[in-house]
Formats: sequence, C-alpha cells, structure tokens
Amino acid sequence: MRGKVNNMIGRMLKKDLLRNRIITLTLSAFIMLSSLLIASAVGIMVDLFVSMDKLFQKSNAPHFVQMHSGEIDQRLIDKFSFDNELVKEQQTVEMINIDGSNIFLNESQRAENESVMDISFVKQNPSFDFLLNLENQVIKVSQGEIGVPIYYMQQNDLNIGDKIWVANGNFKKEFMIKAFVRDVQMNPSIVSSKRFVINDQDWNIVKANIGESEYLIEFLLTDLDKITEFESMYQSADLPQKGPKITYSLFKTLNALSEGIVALVIVLISLLLIAIAILCIRFTMMTTMEEDYREIGVMKGIGIQSKDIQKLYLTKYIVIAAVASIGGFVLSIFVGHIFTANIALYMGTAEKTVLHYFVPLIGTMVVFIAVLFYCQLVLRKFRRITAIEALRAGSSLDNRQSWRVFKLQKSKFPNVNVFLGIKDVFERFKVYGLVCFVFILSTFIIIVPVNFLNTVESPGFITYMGAGKSDIRIDLQQSMDVGQRFTDMQYYIENDSTVEKYSALVTSTIKILNSEGTYENINVEIGDFTVFPLEYLKGSAPKHKNDIALSYMKANELEKNVGDVLVLIVNGQKQELTICGIYQDISNGGKTAKALLPYDSKNILWYVVNLDVKTGVDVNEKIEEYKKVFYPAKVTDMDEYLSQTLGTTINQLKVVTVSSIVIAISIAVLITGMFFTMLIAKDAIQITIMKSLGFSNRDIQVQYITRSLLVLLIGIVFGTFIAGTLGQELVSLLGSFMGASNIKFVVNSLVSYILCPLLLIIAVTITTLINSMEIKKRGDFKIKAE
Amino acid sequence: MKNILEVKHLNKTYSIGKLESQHVLKDINLEIKEGEFVSVMGPSGSGKSTLLYNISGMDKFSSGSVVFAEKDISTMSEEALSKLRLNTMGFIFQQSNLLKNLNVFDNIILSAYLAKSESRKKINKRAIELMRKTGIAEISNHDITQASGGQLQRVSICRALINNPDIIFGDEPTGALNTKATNEVMEILADINQSGTTIMLVTHDVKVAAKTERILFMLDGQIVSDKYLGKYEKGENDIKIREERLLMWLSRMGF
Repeated sequence: MRGKVNNMIGRMLKKDLLRNRIITLTLSAFIMLSSLLIASAVGIMVDLFVSMDKLFQKSNAPHFVQMHSGEIDQRLIDKFSFDNELVKEQQTVEMINIDGSNIFLNESQRAENESVMDISFVKQNPSFDFLLNLENQVIKVSQGEIGVPIYYMQQNDLNIGDKIWVANGNFKKEFMIKAFVRDVQMNPSIVSSKRFVINDQDWNIVKANIGESEYLIEFLLTDLDKITEFESMYQSADLPQKGPKITYSLFKTLNALSEGIVALVIVLISLLLIAIAILCIRFTMMTTMEEDYREIGVMKGIGIQSKDIQKLYLTKYIVIAAVASIGGFVLSIFVGHIFTANIALYMGTAEKTVLHYFVPLIGTMVVFIAVLFYCQLVLRKFRRITAIEALRAGSSLDNRQSWRVFKLQKSKFPNVNVFLGIKDVFERFKVYGLVCFVFILSTFIIIVPVNFLNTVESPGFITYMGAGKSDIRIDLQQSMDVGQRFTDMQYYIENDSTVEKYSALVTSTIKILNSEGTYENINVEIGDFTVFPLEYLKGSAPKHKNDIALSYMKANELEKNVGDVLVLIVNGQKQELTICGIYQDISNGGKTAKALLPYDSKNILWYVVNLDVKTGVDVNEKIEEYKKVFYPAKVTDMDEYLSQTLGTTINQLKVVTVSSIVIAISIAVLITGMFFTMLIAKDAIQITIMKSLGFSNRDIQVQYITRSLLVLLIGIVFGTFIAGTLGQELVSLLGSFMGASNIKFVVNSLVSYILCPLLLIIAVTITTLINSMEIKKRGDFKIKAE
Repeated sequence: MKNILEVKHLNKTYSIGKLESQHVLKDINLEIKEGEFVSVMGPSGSGKSTLLYNISGMDKFSSGSVVFAEKDISTMSEEALSKLRLNTMGFIFQQSNLLKNLNVFDNIILSAYLAKSESRKKINKRAIELMRKTGIAEISNHDITQASGGQLQRVSICRALINNPDIIFGDEPTGALNTKATNEVMEILADINQSGTTIMLVTHDVKVAAKTERILFMLDGQIVSDKYLGKYEKGENDIKIREERLLMWLSRMGF
C-alpha cells in the first residue's frame, strides 16, 4: 500500500508541476530570490565582521581619539598619559587641513571646493592607527608620492600613478598616487573627514605653505572595557578638547553602519518576498485543492489516510522549496561578491572560512523551514474534509454561505460587468486580501520615500537642522583672525540699509554636567533666537540669561526635559540654567544647545549670520556682494545652503526613491500577474458558464479589470493613509537617531496623490489586461459537457 | 415552416499531439425548422454534444457552414457570436451551471440585464412570471446552494428563456435528475415548444426523447438516422406507444 501511495505521489507530483507550470516557476522564483537575498545578507554580515576584525587588527586601531583644533601642549598630554595607568600608548597626529579649493584630483583642473569632506594631509603614524594600502600593509611613501583615501578613488575614478596637486597662491606641489588608503578611523563615507598620507619632508613643506593644523590625540588603552571611564578622566583633566571625541566602539559602529544597513535592507526585502511567497502558496494550494476536491474525496473514500494525502500535496512544495532554496544558496556563492565588493574594497578581502558558507546555509534553511511550516498549516484543512462531503459538494473549500450583499435585481449599476466585478471583490474579499495587501505595501513603498524626498527638498527642512528660515546665511569657519572678521562683518551688515533684519550666532564649546556626574563638552549656539524663530518640539527659544534650549538627542542623552535644571561651566564659574525648550537638529551629530550666555572667544567653533533683505532687494545680487566682501566666508541662500549641506543625502534619497518606485511597481505587476492567472484558472467554470450565456471575452475582461482596479483603489487609499501616518512616524523614528524626532511630511499633492497612484493604476491595468487574455482560452464547453 | 438552422458539410477535427488528429464530426448535413423539438441520441463519444456546441457557435468547427436564422455563423467574430448567443439562444446543461455567487433570481435575469433589450422592470416582471410557470417562485431569493437539483434545473430553464430566444439547446438537461423531476422538466420544455420556441437537446434517455418531435441518431461522428415521431401533445396517453416505437427503432440502430 505504502509503495503504491509513493508511486502515486510521484505521478501526481509530475502531473501537478506540469499542470501549473507558470505558478510553479513563479513560486520557485520567489523562494529562490528570498533564499538568495537572505544568504547574501547573512554573508555580508559574516564578511563584514571578519574583514573589519582584520582591518582593526592590522591597523592597530586607537581606542580613544580626541580631535582638537587650536594649539596643544604635548607636555601636558604626556604627563596625563604617564600618570594614567589605563594608557598603554599615546600619539598625537598633526593633520594639515587643506581647503577643497586648494586641491586638484585626477588631473582635472577643477578643485574639490564643492566637496563635503574635510581633507587633511598626515604623515604615516609611528606606533598605531596605521594607514593601510589595499593589501592591508602599512603605507610607506617617498617624496612626491601620496596615499589617497579609497573614497576619492571611487568618487574621482583615480588610479595608481595618477597625479594630484595642492596649490595655494604661488605655492604648487605635485604628488603621484602611490597607494589608496584604508583608514580605520575615516574609511566610511559617512565620516566627513579624510586623511591623505604623504612623506615627512613633503608634509613639512605643505605645512609651511597651506592650511592650518588640527590634532588627533590618540590613545591605546590597557583595558578596552574601561573606555568610558577613561573618557571621563580625559574630559575632567585640563587637556585639549576643542572638537569631537571618538571611541573604539564608535569606529566599529561607523565602519559597520553603511554595510550593516545594506544587509538589513536586504534582509527586510527578503522577508517581504518570503511573506509574498507564503501567501502565494496558500492561494495556489487552495486553488489546487479546490480543483482536486473530488479526487481527495475519492482517495479518502477508498481508504487512503489524510496523512498520506497531505504528504502528496506537501511533497510538491517540499520539492519546490528545497530546489529553490538550494538554488538561491548556490547562486549566492556566485553573486555574493557583488554585495561584498564594497566591504572588500574598504576593509580588505576576508579569507573564506567555513563560517562564510555555513551561516548563509542556515539562513537558507530558515527560508525552507518557514515555507514548509506554512504549508503544514494550510494543509490542516484536509482533516476537515469528509469523503462524502467532497463527493457530494464537488467543489469549494471556502465555505461561502449566502452572504450576498450585492443583488443584481436591486442594483442601479447600468453596467452588469462592472457590477459583477465590484460584487465579487466585496463578497470574496478574503481571496483578494493578498493582492490588496501587496497594493497597500506598494503604495506605501512609493509614497513614503516620495514624501520624504519632497520634505527634505523643501526650504522648511532647515527647521530640522536647528535653524530658522532666512533669506541669506553666512558661515564663518575657524581661522586665525576669525574674531576680527566676524566683528567687521556685523558692522558691515548693521550699516547695510538693504538688510531688513539679521541675527549673529556664535557656536562655542561649553562644559556641562552630564547624567553620570562628569563634565562633557557641548556645542552651544549663542545669540538672539527670536529674530529667526525655530519651531520647538517642546517649550520655546531661550529668552533669559539662565535659559537653555537642548536639541532632541542631547536632551535624550542627558535624560532632561523642559523645566529641568542643567549645570554648566561658564567662564570658569558653575552656572545653573533651566531648560526652556527642546528642538530638532540633525546637524553636527544632532547634539547641540542654544543659550544667551557670554562666550569665551578662545572656545569658538564657528560663526553664523542669518539675515533677511528688504522687499525688492535681489537676494542673489546681495549674495554675490557678500561673497566678495566677506571672502572666504560661505554665503548662501537657504535653498543653496540646504542643497550644499544635504546635497549628497538628497541625491542618495533620489536613488532610493526611484528604486523604491521600480521595486514597488515590479512587485505590484508580478503579484497582479500571478494572482489573476490563478484567479482566472480558479474561475474557469464560471467563465465558461458566462460565455455560454452570451458574455463576450471583452465583457469578462471588464469584470476582471474592475476587480483589479477596485482592489488597487482600496490599496492606494489605505497605502496612502498609512504612508501619511505610520510612514511619517517611521521616518520620524529613523530621524530621531539623527536628531529629528518629529518630521512632518511636506506633500506635493500632484506627485503623491495623482502621479504615483496613476503609475500604479497604469501598470496594474496593463498587467490585468494581458492576464485576462487568458480568458479567451477558457470556455472549452466540450470538457464540461461529457 | 422556415429553416432556423441549416448545417452543410460540417466537419470537426481535434488534433491530438503534433501528428495525430481525431475526426469528431464527419460531413454533417442537417436542417431544423422553426418550432421543431429535436433530440439527438447516440452512444457516448458519438459526437452529440460536439454537434450541439458547434452549431450554437460555442465551439469552432473545422469546415462546412452553419446558417442560423439566415446568418452564416462561420464568418462571425467572437464578439458577434457572443451577441448572437445572448439574444437568440438559450442553453440548458446537465449540471445546472448556475453562477455560484448570484442568487436564484439574479442568475435568471443576468443575461437579460446584459442584453439590455428591455427595461429592468420588464425583465424582473418576466422573470417572476417564468418562475411562477416553472414552479420555483418561492425560492426566488434563495442561494443556489439551498435549492434541489430539480429546482436548479428549472432555474436554468428560466435563465435560458429570459431573453425570449429563438432556440434552446439542451445538453442532457435531465441527465442529473430523478424520474419525477425529469418528467416535470420535460413537461415545461414541451410547453415552451408549444409556444413556438425551437428546442434541440442531446439525451441518452428514451423517455425524454419520446417526448420530442424528431430524433437524430448519431454514430461515430455522423447522423446515421433521422426519425420523425410527430408532435407530442402534453398529457398524451399514448406516450408508452411513442416510447416503444422509439425503442424498436433504436434497437435496429444497435443502441
């Protein structure tokens, strides 16, 4: 008996696979793709960790780094290091900051003045924090040679042997690219500083001619677990700290972040594909079982156990899932390097270990097991079918009863086909659930990035950067005579009759008492915040001398709220300030403050002047004027400032948006195609009956297009609603990691509510139309008759 | 009487695979007059249903011509054939073949609403009248799962009649019914025929065929005999004689 059953299973399996060729192929494709993606994503992670470990080891990464701009006293640092038993080794790296307008890459005559990166020239480090070449060896450069960060190799398409120049006035120096630099500290593109390595003699020449120095005060510690402790010690000591501090764990996070996000996104897409595959399986299984209802009855009638019948159906899906999962895994071995190419470039090629194959295989197996588990769930229905019931009813697993809301007799619809389409969607909504879900998802995937992009591109986005809206913004960076220039600038603007109003803001480093009871530095913007008001999440702008407003992230970090008291050291004196407001700020790491304090001119980081011109004054002309007068200050209007500051983000976001649209439309088209192929197969008898009554192919096509458009419309309405609510929350949640926790979408109605839905409607209608051609093939009356 | 249907040299071939083919209808020539009640008999696989579907435009024949109500259907487009079926033909199948998502009443009125030849009010009125005549008025609002086999077949008769067709085709319309229900359905069909509608049905049942006016006997894709029994009058006492005559004729055919 068992042998016969197995034999029968084999025959039925073959028949079934052939019968549903398209469905089998699509299903396999889904499972294979999700298995490929999971395996690749897991592969990326393994590769990332292995490669990163190797890079950190080879470059001997520092454990704590304090950046500092301004003078330093190395003796004090040496004393601190000598006295502190946590310090294993210390080195101070002097970096010459080169302005983008002074460097020319790739033989182009165009300077890098639009570059968002801070460029600096360094010597190779003597004892740790080595700058490595692409073979992970310590770079050694002779005179006239240079090591260029990988970032520029990618951006400017550079090759070994290419020439680059630095120039400033009469000074010009040429370098030949000897190597590309893997820099454990500044590798990732999200880190906005990049180090070039040159020979010691060259370095001295450049230093004498261009730029100013900035220092990296680096430490290797004896105990990695005590970094936080060391950090407090350093901050409490009177040591240079005009700049951000970075720890070992932050280096790791920064290095892992970009690739980690890629892996995460791939995992999410893969989960989505599995969800879709599973829903498709449910649908196919139900359809097949419905078609085979009588056979199931007969099999039960002749005494084959439910278990064996289940096996029969399960075998098919085991075969599909196994072949597809393994296919995906094998494919991932061949195409995996596409995903890990960036890791290989930035961190070096990790040697393939057993882990590289084993962990992705586990990922693949998870996909396989998830699919099988779901099949088992669906197959439980078998137990409920009795032989007699199956033989008598001869159809229908979905025990639809007389739930008939739409009656033709009572309908006022002039078109019978449109009526039938609508009726079917509402009365069999369970069947359409899957496509409806996919349409909601597709709409969501399209609308959220579109709305977010529009929000980032709108001038109002400045409010998320902790600044009010103004016509012109002038940025003055740290330099020797910056204080004087700032005073001159204020005087000039004060006496400019075309200026409506202005506010001068100074950002200074001030010490505050943190929640752990130690002092830490914070960038505080000082000035009049009422001239260009900012929207506050809670409370309002500082108006009194003892008011302070905190950025969202800083307030969170300090665990403070409006009304709480904050202790600061101002001019060497302890001072208590009350938190008057919390605002959103994604600039400067998102941790800033605003107050009306007196400032120490030695501790100033930068100056900003915002101003509005009087009506009738041409803003662009004013900008040109100020650019000349205040050179080298950066003078921009709000749009330009935003596009300069967020330019790369906006460009990346554009790519993300376009990809989202393409992915969403592809998913919608694929699922619509699959769904209607299955639905038409399932409805074959009904179609035949309608044709016999005199319904033409076109009549029936209208019914199916009505169905797909109605479901799509429901999907679009819900999708758009969820995008506006949940999507906005999601973006705010992501934004809160950067400092903006309450992002409100600025919606371009034409694009979001008309063009995007239209795109989906066109894609889905065409797909349904193509699918409904299948109707022509249905209607073999002969088969039904005899 | 005019011919409602003229079939000349009709052939139908099914291809099986690339090399083989099966000749299912072989050079059929047939004329059916308006108001005739014709049944087609013959063993399984003789081509009865195929003939029905080919002359009603539901299937495409390989060669020959079919002229229905003076229109050559072989040259008609799919769209035109649908329209022809909608407005001039009614179908009754062995299984009632009703649409399962519509209730009894909606199943009956559906094709009339599609044809739009009358106001919906008039259509509804006629549907009620047809249901009353066929004795299913009380199940008008029922779901089709709540009706018996005999009732469902009457629903499909009402549906076939709703557009006042010139001809009704039946493919074993009583095949799934018990004797009582078969008799009731045949009485209804006889009534319809008496009011002037042409009926052509395929059947295995001698009792059913005995109530029709003319019997075609098919064998191996050909009409091998054409027997005229004469009009059956409803409630006729000599039905037994008609059945016996038919049986004798059939036994001569080797059926």
